[in-house]
Formats: sequence, structure tokens, C-alpha cells
Amino acid sequence: MSTLVLNDEHNHDHADHGHHKETLISKYIFSMDHKMIAKQFLITGIIMAVIAMFLSILFRIQLAWPDKSFPFLETFLGKWAEGGRIKSDFYLALVTIHGTIMVFFVLTAGLSGTFSNLLIPLQIGARDMASPFLNMLSYWFFFTACSIMMASFFIQTGPASAGWTVYPPLSALPQAIPGSGLGMTMWLISMVLFVASSLMGGINYVSTILNMRTKGMDLWKMPLTIWAFFLTAILGILSFPVLVAGVVLLIFDRSFGTSFYLSDIVMGTTILPNEGGSPILWQHLFWFLGHPEVYIVIMPAMGIASEVMAVNSRKPIFGYHAMVYSLIGITVLSFLVWGHHMFVTGMNPLLGGVFMVTTLIIAVPSAVKTFNWLATLWRGNIRFTPAMLFAIGLVSFFISGGLTGIWLGNASLDITLHDTYFVVAHFHLVMGSAAIFGMLAGVYHWFPKMFGRMMNPKLGYLHFWLTFVAAYLVFFPLHFLGLDGVPRRYYAFTEFEFMKKWLTVNVFVTWSAIVAALAQVAFLFNFFYSIFRGKIATQNPWEANTLEWTAPVEHLHGNWPGEIPTVYRWPYDYSKPGDEGDFIPQTVPFSQTMSSNLPHDFEGNPEAERIQLEWEAANPVIVDKV
Amino acid sequence: MSLTMENKQDIFDPRPRKFIVWLFVVSSTIMFGGFTSYYLVFVASKGKGHGLVLPDAFIYSTFVIIASSITLMIASRCLRKSNFKTQRVMLWLSVILAVVFGFIQFSAWGNLVKTGATLVNNNAAISFIYIVSGLHLFHIIAGVGLIFNALAGSYKNIPLAKKEYRMEIASIFWHFIDILWIYLYVFLLLNR
Repeated sequence: MSTLVLNDEHNHDHADHGHHKETLISKYIFSMDHKMIAKQFLITGIIMAVIAMFLSILFRIQLAWPDKSFPFLETFLGKWAEGGRIKSDFYLALVTIHGTIMVFFVLTAGLSGTFSNLLIPLQIGARDMASPFLNMLSYWFFFTACSIMMASFFIQTGPASAGWTVYPPLSALPQAIPGSGLGMTMWLISMVLFVASSLMGGINYVSTILNMRTKGMDLWKMPLTIWAFFLTAILGILSFPVLVAGVVLLIFDRSFGTSFYLSDIVMGTTILPNEGGSPILWQHLFWFLGHPEVYIVIMPAMGIASEVMAVNSRKPIFGYHAMVYSLIGITVLSFLVWGHHMFVTGMNPLLGGVFMVTTLIIAVPSAVKTFNWLATLWRGNIRFTPAMLFAIGLVSFFISGGLTGIWLGNASLDITLHDTYFVVAHFHLVMGSAAIFGMLAGVYHWFPKMFGRMMNPKLGYLHFWLTFVAAYLVFFPLHFLGLDGVPRRYYAFTEFEFMKKWLTVNVFVTWSAIVAALAQVAFLFNFFYSIFRGKIATQNPWEANTLEWTAPVEHLHGNWPGEIPTVYRWPYDYSKPGDEGDFIPQTVPFSQTMSSNLPHDFEGNPEAERIQLEWEAANPVIVDKV
Repeated sequence: MSLTMENKQDIFDPRPRKFIVWLFVVSSTIMFGGFTSYYLVFVASKGKGHGLVLPDAFIYSTFVIIASSITLMIASRCLRKSNFKTQRVMLWLSVILAVVFGFIQFSAWGNLVKTGATLVNNNAAISFIYIVSGLHLFHIIAGVGLIFNALAGSYKNIPLAKKEYRMEIASIFWHFIDILWIYLYVFLLLNR
């Protein structure tokens, strides 16, 4: 018990981390420092994002010019693009792996992994994570998962091709399509490793936030980023294990001959022995994770956007408590809505109605967040940094993608729109573009914290505008395809009479996608160039209040030399009336800001209120000015 | 970059790490929750469960794992009284009981196979028995690892706080998998 007493005095350093010698391997490869692990996650995430983007360009080429031959494709892809045309099997592999990489490797691990690791210890005032070792393991499991997924491109039968949701029986029967062979097995192994990685990360984040906050940092003084990472990690802990359960059963169906998801299947002329299973059960297990997963993707982005927008509007975030409660609301509701992915599975209409209602209720916390962001911007003293632009971009995508969510949440509309391009347009805007914009906002904003240098803002603006416009040009037209009933995942629009008229739109979308992809060159160059040659950053380049900017620019193990700073106030004291500057860091006590203190700052502490009143009586001029 | 933080006296704080073990327990519970809800939905939609009389071996293994929890509890008590010798004996006893548990589970599967209720089965509810008991056995292996960790702590010359920490995480996890097994067994008994 004596440890408890000592902790408060000494900000609990890690017993096994006080003083060890750093070698090249322990510093850059098997690092246990949260800042290095964050960079590892980010750079791996960026590489995976570029790969997934490249895959999307490949299938966009197929969609725009289904009958045209591109000899360079054969040079690149060999037998998967014989005669310069992408094969239909490979097309399915492309969309599957594009989705898998983007959802899991980029927007889950790349986003949460990077910013939770970087910001949790720095913003709550901790030396490192609860378990730095588990944290390291989390990255290396993720890296292995990525490697196995990519390795499936180099096998005879190609990668998994059953779509990122890998519905059985297609995914469960190796003889069904080439992609359901070894590629599918590798997908499942990769996913188990990925889930293990996410769980190790998530468990660590939650434990760190709950146990290792610095003095004064109560839950209601945490920045919204931390709230978002915290709730995201809880979502992961509660939903990913269910995916494991589903995946284990799928592995047994595929490799051992059980019938969890299989029944009454005839392949050509052979009747399969499997009996009694139900593929719908996979959908239940998958979407019980799958729906929370989309919030795992968007919530960290929301947290980042809230922080970036408050800093760059030079205003407190509007409705801090409402922002937190809406995140909690989204967290809870996200477990009750998975059925809206399954309206067409023959679900009991009454049950469908229940899922419809819970789904539509999510619009409430989402709208609270959106309006609060807009209110934060309103009459703000806005600084249009690249990070700020991307945060505003997130809000834009979240609105335009979120509105179609209200359509799709309605069972009667969804039955028509299910599995059409309307759905593709919806989720690419609301969780794809919005989340990636949140991630990019975070990269631009915390780049100086990560690398001690600044990114070039001009290239940042170029990157933003090209990406923002191109993303809308890519995804907006897809709504109309969907309304016309064009199904997603189809290989060639020339095969069906009613789809032919959309070919020209597809050409336009593909060109837009190519522009969007080229725009990323501006980012990649800026990112990697600035790591080495960027302008040296000052300690607090954005004049922000949160704790990470009180740590020295130079990274050191343990984050702060000497004592960890104590926190006295919430993180959003921007442009506080009566204060000389326009920001007051969390580490500044109220005794140093007498001219700007407000009655509610003291949380009902009578002694502090008395001192404040005495001071105000003694300094009438300053108080009047306010 | 060779700056290091001002080194104070190293203090070992077990709370965040113990919390990690608890969170792992939560996520593991969710996984088995996923499995058993699969089973419930399966039974509800097919109108049939596994329909077996479960082998007696499962009763024996239940008693063995409860016994191992008791020996582990005694080991914790002994550590609190700094009676390392008895603690070690009790930890070893727990390991032996764990091995016996594993052996009985295997024999239970053997019995099931003999009666024709094999893993590859047209009744997924029967395959399900193998899956959950098998995954539970994986947890037992991890639990034995944690007990060995506590044992190593007991033999090594490390501060008492660390010995206690190792003992505690082994206990948290072991009692969890004990309760987990009882849950699974009762679940399978009730949902024929």
C-alpha cells in the first residue's frame, strides 16, 4: 500500500524504464517509447494507405475502360492482367484488399495507433504507456498482419476476394473462387493478428488514461482527443473479440470441415456434406464488430478535429460536455445498430424496425457534434492552417455523408439501395474521407510534436484543395449510380444494358480519383522531406493549451525532464475575456490569471471565490475593462 | 537525444498493469459471449441444440479446476504472510492440477468422439463444444504461464511488491478462467 502514497509524490516512473542504454535496435525497431511507436504506426499506416489507394486506381481503371487494353498493366500484374485487362477474379481481390487495408490497417491502426500512442501519455501527463512492452508488441503484431496481407498478392491463387466483409459461404469454400483458397486463409490469419494488436493497444490506452493522469488532470479536464481515444479503445475492447469468435468458426469451417456457416450447398454437380449451419450467423458476428468498427474509425478523427478546430479558431470548443456525452452516446448506440447491415437477410420486420430506430437515434449525437463544430467556428479568430482546413473538411464530409446515412438507416429505403453504389458513396464520404481528413489534420497539427520540424503549409494547402475537391468529384456522382440501382462490386458495366449509360460517369470518376491520388504526392513529399529538412519547430507552434506542448521539442524518454507538470484548468481557455494573451495553457494556475477568472472556474470552492472577490475589489479598473 | 529524465527513486506501480489484466479478462469474456450468443441464435433458429449427455469427464475437470483455484488462493495467502515455501508448493500444486485438467478435457473429447459426436459434424452445436472447450484450454495454457511467472517471482530475489504483483495477476486470470469454465459447462448443460 505504501506505493500508493509514493506515487503522488513522484509521478510514478517506470521501474524498468528509468535508465537503460539505447541501441539502434531498441530505439528505432523494437522501441518501447510511445512516441517512436506512434511514428512506426504512422509510417506503416501511410505506406498501407498508398498501397490501398494504388489498388483503388487499378480497379477504377477497369471500371472506366472495361474494354480497353492497357499493356502496362500486364507488365505490372502479369497473369492477373493478361492482355492488359484486369481479370475479374483479380478485380474482386482488389476491392477486397482495398477495403480491408483502408478500414483496418489505415483508419484503425494507422489512426488510433498513431495518435493514441503519441497523444495519450503527452496530453494526460504520463511518462509512457501502462505497459510499454505490450505497446511494442502491438505494433509488431500489426506489422506482421500487414506483411501477411501483402504476401497474399504473391501466391498463385491471389488474395482474398470475398469482399472486406468476407461473407460465407463464398469465403468458407476454398473451391468457390481462387481468392477463397490460400489467400483467404492468409486474410484470416492476418486479421487474427490484427485484432490481437488492436486489443493490446486498446487495453493499454484505457489503462493508461484511467490510471496514469498527472496531478490535477481529472476526467473533465481531458482534451477531447483523449476522450475520443478512450471511448474508441473501449469500443475496440468490447467489439473486436466478437470478430475473433466469428473468425475462429470460419477457420474451422474452411480448414476442418465443420458446418458453422454452411448448409445445403451444391457446387457444380457435387453436393457438399456440410449441413445445418447458417451464413447469417457470420453476418451477426461480423457486424457486431463491423458497426462499432466504423465508429472506431471516425471517433479518433472527431477528437482530433475538435482539438484542431478549437486551437485554430482561438475559441473554446463549443459545448465541451455535450461533445463528451455525444461521444459516449455514439459509443453505446454503436452496439445496438448492427442489424441495419442485414435488412435484406430476411430479418423479422419488427426486429428491423428496432434496428432502424436505434440507427436513426445515432443521428442525434452526430448532429450535436456537427453543430458544436460549426458553433466553434462561428465568429472565431480562425487561423487557416493546413490542419484546420482538413478538420473543416472532415466536418463537410461528415455532413454530406451523414445525411445519406439517414436514408440508408431506413429499412424500406435500404432494401432498395442495399449493395448499390449509393452505399459506396455514403460510407466513403462519412467514414472514409472524413476519417482520413481527420487523420491528415492530426498529421499536420502534431507533425512538429512528432519530428520537431514543421511541414510546409503551401504544399499543405495544395494537398488539401486538390484532395477535397477530387474526393467530392469521386464520391458524389456515385450516389446517382446507386439510385439507379447499379450494384457495387460488379466487374464490368458493359455486361448489363441498364448500366451502360453510367460508363461516362465512371470515366469522370476515375479521372477524379487519379487527380486525388496525384495530390497525395504533395503530401508524401512534404511529409518525408519535412522530417529531415523542415523548418525547426518551436515548442508550441500553434499556441495551444494542451500538455504535450509543454514538453521539450527534443524527444526524451519519459517526456518531461524533471517533474511532470500539474494541470489546473480545462484545455480550452482560448481568447478568455480579461486575459492579455489569447490562450492559457492547462499548466497555468488561476492565481496567475486573476483578471480573467470567472466564477464557475472555481467549481464552488469558497476559499478561491473569496480570494477572487478580494482581488477584484482591489483592482476595479481592470475588472471594469472586462 | 541522450537526455534522460531526472531519475528519481524507481517506484513500482502495479495498478495500471493489473488493470490491463482486468481489461483482458473483459475482452476474453466478450469473445466467449460472442461464441455463446452464436450458439443461442443457432439453437433458436434451428430448434435444436447439441442434444448430448455431456461426458462425466467434464464434471471431474470442473472439480479439478475449482481445486486449482483453491490452491492458488492459499498460495496468495501464504505470500501475504511471507511464507514463500508453502506458496511455492501451492503454486506447483496448481500447475499440476492445471495439467490434470487439460488431460481430462482431452479424455472428454475422446469420449465424445467414441459416441460419434465428432468435431466435424452436421450439427454445428456439437462442433461448438469442441471449439469453446478448446479455446478455454488455450486460456489455461496462458494461465499456467502466469503461474510460472509467479513461481519465478517467488524464487527470484525481487522486491515483495513485485512478487505480489505477479501473484496477483496470476490469481486474477486463473480465477477468471475457472469461472469461465463453470459458465461454459453450465451453459452447455442448460442449452441441450
